[in-house]
Amino acid sequence: MTELRDAATADIQYDFDIHDSNAADDLFETYAEMRNRCPVAHTPHYGGHWVATKYDDIHDILRNPTVFSSESVNIPGTIGQDGPMIPIEVDPPDHGIYRKLINPLFSPKRMADLEPQIRALVNELIDQMLESNRVDFVEAFARELPSRVFLALMGWDIADASRFNEWVDLIVLGKPGASEEEATEVRTAAAMEVYAYFAEMIDDRAGSDDAEDITQILINGTFEDRELTQFEVLNILFLFLIGGLHTVQGQLAHTVIFMAENPIVRKQLATDLSLVDSAVEEMLRWESAICPARLVKEDVVLGGVQLRAGDKVLIPFTSANRDEEKFDNADTVDIAREPNPHIAFGAGNHRCVGSHLARLELRIAFEELHRRMPAYRLDPADPPVRHLSQIKGVVKLPLIIGESI
Amino acid sequence: MSDALTAEVDRSACKGHGRCYMTNPEVFDCDDEGFPIVIGVASTAQELSDLERAVNNCPEQAVSALRV
Ligand code: HEM
Ligand code: SF4
Repeated sequence: MTELRDAATADIQYDFDIHDSNAADDLFETYAEMRNRCPVAHTPHYGGHWVATKYDDIHDILRNPTVFSSESVNIPGTIGQDGPMIPIEVDPPDHGIYRKLINPLFSPKRMADLEPQIRALVNELIDQMLESNRVDFVEAFARELPSRVFLALMGWDIADASRFNEWVDLIVLGKPGASEEEATEVRTAAAMEVYAYFAEMIDDRAGSDDAEDITQILINGTFEDRELTQFEVLNILFLFLIGGLHTVQGQLAHTVIFMAENPIVRKQLATDLSLVDSAVEEMLRWESAICPARLVKEDVVLGGVQLRAGDKVLIPFTSANRDEEKFDNADTVDIAREPNPHIAFGAGNHRCVGSHLARLELRIAFEELHRRMPAYRLDPADPPVRHLSQIKGVVKLPLIIGESI
Repeated sequence: MSDALTAEVDRSACKGHGRCYMTNPEVFDCDDEGFPIVIGVASTAQELSDLERAVNNCPEQAVSALRV
């Protein structure tokens, strides 16, 4: 019988820092090495925590919220939010009560009604991009689309998109080059402005009663037999913003980088747009942006390793989705891949509530992009800039339109 | 006996990813929260292969195919 390993065991130590953007370029090699050598690894960063990298281990963690709590999904603990983020940092049974209220707001049928509006927003942005042959795809498209769609969904003023982008960039990215302390300060200040904006939207609705308006539905929402507090409403809205913008932005940008570098796949998609649904799923598998954490509530053994109550474990979905034991040729993109049970949107009770919206945005964007601008390439003199954090993404993506490698 | 199959969804495992009803409109619809409702059977070759895809693509392993 092999002996149980623990946080002190030498051969499962791995120096891994989820916030080190320099690590972004070799991220997949790093995760592959961890899956092979120490699928449940211990890293010394942020006071010491675990990293689980196999699909099956991550899946087990997601489906066992009693032991693996979502009480604190960030490492380190805060991104400037005030109190636990609802519902992502709430465990069952309370979690289910919030989700019953929120699920209908993002239901597939409600999202389908947004399709014409999203298509119009996508085409407006493409019109602008086609006016020149060089763009920063992040600035011109990937950052704009999700915030405009979000404002359209909420029925708020689309002209506020640029303010939203600024706030969310500060909250998610902090301030590049700043000390940890300064970064936290900047985040908190941006978060306060977001809360103030939301509070204004809530006040605007005093006395009105639009049964279709999301803000209104939340204001009128109940938790069992009491009304939601303003604090809860603000928190829920805050998470829509944090969960809904950078994620879609990253997914759009990562996909365009891949398609720019792989013209054969891009042409395959552009000449047969019926592949767009499976292409969206495959690109979600290929570059899954989110890497949450879980807080261990009871001593538990995971993959032959002893975890203790109070430990934190990071669960990179992008590693799960490249696990060779789960996906054949996991490191190859196949835009017609079948089956593809990826967990880019998580699994278990916290499955991304915005997934139906995200899929719709991605599908329409890639349809229209490849219909209207089938050729594009990276700028060799000005390569994309990625960033790593628990939501990994792309900050800059210079693109030459109308040319192909 | 026919070759037709219907689906069973394990309600406690299903978390509403929607992979099943996205690709199988003959067999699944969805409710207002985004959870699947079984509405029909798969009988043509295309429907049968779509249903097999639903079984294999569900990230919660919540779908099984049953003989009708
Ligand atoms: C490609 C885009 C997206 C990706 C990859 C993504 C990914 C995820 C993942 C992995 C989770 C689960 C985290 C965990 O288990 O701890 C999650 C939760 C969540 N997402 Fe998304 N998301 C995306 C888009 C969106 C959008 C557009 C919205 C809404 C506007 C949204 C709102 C949320 C919310 C509210 C939660 C919390 C759900 C809960 O805890 O029950 N997401 N997302
Ligand atoms: S794919 Fe699976 S989890 Fe998703 S809705 Fe269908 S049965 Fe439920």
